Amino acid sequence: MPVEYKKNRATLRDDVSVEEAEGLLEWLQNTPAAKADLSACSHLHTACLQVMMAAHANIVQWPHSAELRAWLEPALTSGDQEPAWRRPF
Amino acid sequence: MNPSPSNPLLEQFLSEAHDLLESIGKQLLQLEEAPDDQGILNELFRSVHTLKGNSGLFTWPEMTRVLHAGEDLLGMVRSGRADYSRELADHLLEAMDFVDVLCREIESTERIDAARAAESESTAEGLRKLMPSEAATGNAGQAGVNLASAALPSANVPGEKLPLGSVPEAVRMAAFRHCREGDGLFWIDYRPERECFFHGDDPLNSARHCPGLLWGRVLAPEPLPALRELDTYSCAVGFHLLTSASREELAEYYRYLPDQVEISAVAPLLLVIPQGSLDGPAADGHFCAEALRMLQAADLASLRPFVQAMLDGSRAESWLASALRWLLCLLEAGPRWIGDNTRAVSLLIESLESFIAPDWASPKAVTLAAAESIAPTADGLASASPQPLSEDDRAAWDHILAGQRQILALEDRPAWHTGRLQAVATVLTHLCHMAGGPSAASGIQAALAEALSSGRNAPLMAWLDAHENLQLASVISALPRPSEGDGAGPATPGANAATVFEDNSGKTPPDDGIRFGRRAEDAVNGPRVLKVDQAKVDRLMNLIGELVVSKNALPYLAERAESQFGVREISREIKSQYAVINRIADEMQDAIMQVRMMAVSFIFQRFPRMVRDISRKLGKEVQLVLEGEQTEADKNIIESLADPLIHIVRNSLDHGIETPEVRVAQGKPAAGKLIIRATQEGDRVVIEIMDDGKGIDPAVIKRKAYEKGLIDEAALERMGDQEAINLIFAAGLSTAAVVSDLSGRGVGMDVVRSAVEKINGTVLLHSQLGKGTTIRISLPLSMAVTQVMVIESDQQLFGVPMDHVVETVRVPASAIRTIKQSQTALLRGRIVPLKSLNTLLGIAAIPKTNSDDELAVLLVQAGSAELGLLIDGFRETMGVIQKPLNGFLSSLSAFSGSALMGDGSVLMILNIREIV
Repeated sequence: MPVEYKKNRATLRDDVSVEEAEGLLEWLQNTPAAKADLSACSHLHTACLQVMMAAHANIVQWPHSAELRAWLEPALTSGDQEPAWRRPF
Repeated sequence: MNPSPSNPLLEQFLSEAHDLLESIGKQLLQLEEAPDDQGILNELFRSVHTLKGNSGLFTWPEMTRVLHAGEDLLGMVRSGRADYSRELADHLLEAMDFVDVLCREIESTERIDAARAAESESTAEGLRKLMPSEAATGNAGQAGVNLASAALPSANVPGEKLPLGSVPEAVRMAAFRHCREGDGLFWIDYRPERECFFHGDDPLNSARHCPGLLWGRVLAPEPLPALRELDTYSCAVGFHLLTSASREELAEYYRYLPDQVEISAVAPLLLVIPQGSLDGPAADGHFCAEALRMLQAADLASLRPFVQAMLDGSRAESWLASALRWLLCLLEAGPRWIGDNTRAVSLLIESLESFIAPDWASPKAVTLAAAESIAPTADGLASASPQPLSEDDRAAWDHILAGQRQILALEDRPAWHTGRLQAVATVLTHLCHMAGGPSAASGIQAALAEALSSGRNAPLMAWLDAHENLQLASVISALPRPSEGDGAGPATPGANAATVFEDNSGKTPPDDGIRFGRRAEDAVNGPRVLKVDQAKVDRLMNLIGELVVSKNALPYLAERAESQFGVREISREIKSQYAVINRIADEMQDAIMQVRMMAVSFIFQRFPRMVRDISRKLGKEVQLVLEGEQTEADKNIIESLADPLIHIVRNSLDHGIETPEVRVAQGKPAAGKLIIRATQEGDRVVIEIMDDGKGIDPAVIKRKAYEKGLIDEAALERMGDQEAINLIFAAGLSTAAVVSDLSGRGVGMDVVRSAVEKINGTVLLHSQLGKGTTIRISLPLSMAVTQVMVIESDQQLFGVPMDHVVETVRVPASAIRTIKQSQTALLRGRIVPLKSLNTLLGIAAIPKTNSDDELAVLLVQAGSAELGLLIDGFRETMGVIQKPLNGFLSSLSAFSGSALMGDGSVLMILNIREIV
């Protein structure tokens, strides 16, 4: 299983495909203090990434792959992540 | 049949695509007649949509792209956002022709040549151009971020600039070092379409593997919805990528999604954006002056340590340090580059004092920094005249000003009051810079100094009051575009980003939401038709033919049972069984004929388009009337009729119908009328093509035929009008003065006649000079069963097709007269030449007479002449399944084929035209 759910912690491993997106969404909806561990993740399908972005998931471990981390970290770090985002003045 | 594709799915697609294209063409023409008919429009839209959906099953972006554009355009027409016009129809027809070409290509090679991509792009572009402009840009995914695109000379539209400031400084510096020598650097704005997950796309994956990737980020063009409203399978994120790959590499990589990516070239200098906190001190004037002096003197050896020392003395996160790092980065490029870009470097040095990043996009910076590597791109950037503010920018501007006003209006005096005043002053300075009035900035500095010393807001407020209404209001409409360096400014990036994403939100076609609903509609629309390979039907046909023949053996059997074995009982039972089998076999034969029957609309449906195209090309106006489209005939007949009919219609349009001016001058309506009518007459189908054009002048035909040596002088004198007109069917005759690409090469009507005769049909032509021409083609309903009359001659049986039989008579031997060497007889007041069948077939026997000394004469029609065949006797007429003669026998031209009789004997069918 690329995604393993334990109480409030999801561990994403290897290549997380689009099939996981629905499950991930459901789990994030039902888990208030959800945390995600991406350390062993090698790729995250856009659909899953999008779910995690919308959920402002709390990432406890970033991927080992620096390249993937560089993609995910700005997108998944909640708060002032994007200077280019449209915000009210 | 064509070599059929190996993949059954593909085969089905091609067959469906063919049908859809036919109906799209038809509907487009119908729409031209009735542009307001919503029903046709909906049908048309659905057809295009279905075809697009089908093409999406395969990876043919070239085809899908064109269809997608067509669908969008029709969607707009349907919703009233675009108008239906002839031009629009032209483009759509052309696009469908292109799709047709692609289908053919797929059919033969199972792939589309990559070279088609450009054609596809231009065709789709042509369609998009017809859309109302604002929607077109939105739909095409033109995010408007193409400011720096070298490929688009028109890139200096009032657009947005690339948010290069969001790229980390280290990445930008690396990219700059990589590209300053002129290597390509591209910014990609990748907006995957919403349904991309359904196509198996993983945009993040393709972004990660983009060639030459230097940097990238994920972003949500619109804020993502709350979790419970989130549609997992609708892609809502986009990507910004910075890459050093070549444009070709990128085009290849994004071959399948050209409408989802915006690739813009980036001039290396645009990367030079100092960023950082602005509260540190600026470099003093002395430093800048000194640095500029060293630069002018090309004293790089001293300049570099000088700048480095300054950098060491400033805080790493400050704006100044960032600018200094960039300065060092530029300086390390080497003397030649610096020599070419002195102006750029000095602009950066000047900015150290002003804290205002150089505006690389301004004409001043560009013309002076005219390095070869930058010039082509920078030209695109330069906006020679100030661009008016966009709606969004104006709102942002007002908002910022109002914000400053609010801050200044605050009455409290917190500990950070000084900082607050400085912040306001900085914002105002930047606004002034945007407005192109740096002179105003000095006023701000003075006001700030006064405010700081007095600890009150009033001086700044006073400046605002004094300038806002006068100066800012006047520049607001004629504001030069913000500089690239403004990414560092505290307020402007927000404003720019706002506009960028505003545009992108319009990218998704508005009808996206109802896609699934439409699919459901498509499903109920399909007719309940089974598609069967023709070979299977043919086989069934042959089997039934054999059944009919073997069934016919039963009466012989019954007769033998009675005559040879004397069992009448059995004979009677066999006969009654035969009656039952006979009935069933007849019905089966009838049923299978029905299966093979096709409506003539199969050929007719191509005429509206053809007539429209040709008449427009010739500048004629033609009203086409199709009648009896539902008339049916055997598939083979219908198919072999297609080419002759096209020929005839072309001839009518080219030679027959006159131009509107000529017609009006002759008192005819300006629009010519072309009627194509199919009717069934007995067991024959008659197709008439009538035009009300100028008709055929027998005199002209005769002269032409004489000139070409087809007839001699004597014939010229003797020939009647109808006969002359029939000369048009002779090979090598063309009446057109000029050979056009339509007709006039003299290979027209003779080909028509031979094609029609090949399927046992006849062609007749009537023409009235000045009134029009009618061509009448008569064809058998089916070629499967031929009615023949069985005749006997020298104890052999022969079949004569009933089409040729005029009548059967018995003539007393005494009534036969011999004129010179030929025998003749007077039948119903006409002299009919007589020939013995035995002589014609080379049988050495004279025709037998009956007991009354009468000869059997079969009167046949051979071409336009009648002839009496002297034979021994007549038998019954019967329906036979005629088989062509194969192999060595095929050279026997006297026989057109053979058929099996019920008793197992072979009946040879005479080819009357050949033997007489």
